[in-house]
Amino acid sequence: MTKHNTTLTVEVLDNNGSTFTLREVCERGDCHAEFIIKLVDYGIIAPVEEAEEALQWQFDVAALSRLQKAMRLQRDLNLNLPGLALSLDLLDEVNAMRRDMARLEQRLRHLTGE
Amino acid sequence: MDFKDYYAALGVSESATPEEIKKAYRKLARKYHPDVSKEENASDKFKEVGEAYEVLKDPEKRAEYDQLRKYGARDDGSFQPPPGWQSASGFGGGGYTEADARQFSDFFEEIFGGGRHGGFSGTGFGGGGFRQNMRMRGEDVHAKLALFLEEAINGCEKQVSFTVQEADQHGRVMPRQKTLKVKIPAGMREGQHIRLKGQGAPGVGGGEAGDLFIEVELAPHPHFTVEGRDVMLTLPIAPWEAALGATVTAPTVSGKVNVKVPKGSTSGRKLRLKGKGFPGKHPGDQIIVLQVAMPEQHNPEAEKLYEQLAELEKNFNPRSKLHV
Repeated sequence: MTKHNTTLTVEVLDNNGSTFTLREVCERGDCHAEFIIKLVDYGIIAPVEEAEEALQWQFDVAALSRLQKAMRLQRDLNLNLPGLALSLDLLDEVNAMRRDMARLEQRLRHLTGE
Repeated sequence: MDFKDYYAALGVSESATPEEIKKAYRKLARKYHPDVSKEENASDKFKEVGEAYEVLKDPEKRAEYDQLRKYGARDDGSFQPPPGWQSASGFGGGGYTEADARQFSDFFEEIFGGGRHGGFSGTGFGGGGFRQNMRMRGEDVHAKLALFLEEAINGCEKQVSFTVQEADQHGRVMPRQKTLKVKIPAGMREGQHIRLKGQGAPGVGGGEAGDLFIEVELAPHPHFTVEGRDVMLTLPIAPWEAALGATVTAPTVSGKVNVKVPKGSTSGRKLRLKGKGFPGKHPGDQIIVLQVAMPEQHNPEAEKLYEQLAELEKNFNPRSKLHV
């Protein structure tokens, strides 16, 4: 186990608008541009702004993390792209509902004084 | 070393057909996939199921395992392979496709050998093994970090632990636990990302190291909830404070404040404390939702006063919206 005693300062990505080009996403995901283009076609990940040319696409960090998740699911469960798109959409929905439910349950507990 | 019952891991009998084994594996892989499941230990169970399938799907490995199962397992659940045991199925060559063999147990390693050293399948190197002259960027690590609301709003220092895949001098890729102390800036909200450049997996052959990305999550707070940039608080007040108005003390994330409850307030009335939510360019507010609370018991004198009140306010129907 490595321990660093110095405290590292972080970079907040959502505030400084950091994005990644198609090339960077491919490099980080260790995959081909064709694969990313297919993922965009199926709506599995999306560039920050629509652009005609794939080379002009910019992706945010959430897309990077979603790409990793998509690749894990595809590898482990042997999903095809439409199946992957559907699974990720449903997972997003389930997670959003879980978050809402937890928040509402908490509000309810506060309101009923529990 | 404990004996691993791969049949039990997949929930199949010893006489299960390859088709039954595949079916059981697919079902459990979906159930315990760490990206899908919210069950505790899903990740461990997923690995266990993957390891069991890796052995039972292959007739050669399954036959070896069955043999060992017969002779190697002891009554107390521990396991020692017979002296001079050597696997004939030779896992070391990287003959796997789906599973990430670096994750397999000591038990697996002992029987089939070399699995965790067999190559880079999980990192996308394919079956090619380690190549010294290859230059490649290290893997990014995406992790989540739960913060208390106070930590998220005021900023904090946190210890973050995560696993990176790292090659040793022999080119064997092994997981390594890494711990860093990081300074989390004030005003981090749920779902926001931070990056620590170069703190992911090291690069190969002089390649750049990967980054560590952390997504912030908020732990539930006993008093506050969060809506966007605003912090919500349900504040109980006494009936007389609601009726007459009062100055009461309320908690905020950054300490106590005095709040003026307007005369004639009702339950559900909202009061806004400007700038007491999440800090930032557009700081959030704290929204106080008033809730009229009653004492559990009244003394006889108070009851008399309520009787007077009932008489004075007899035209008030709190159930008028219910048309009763």
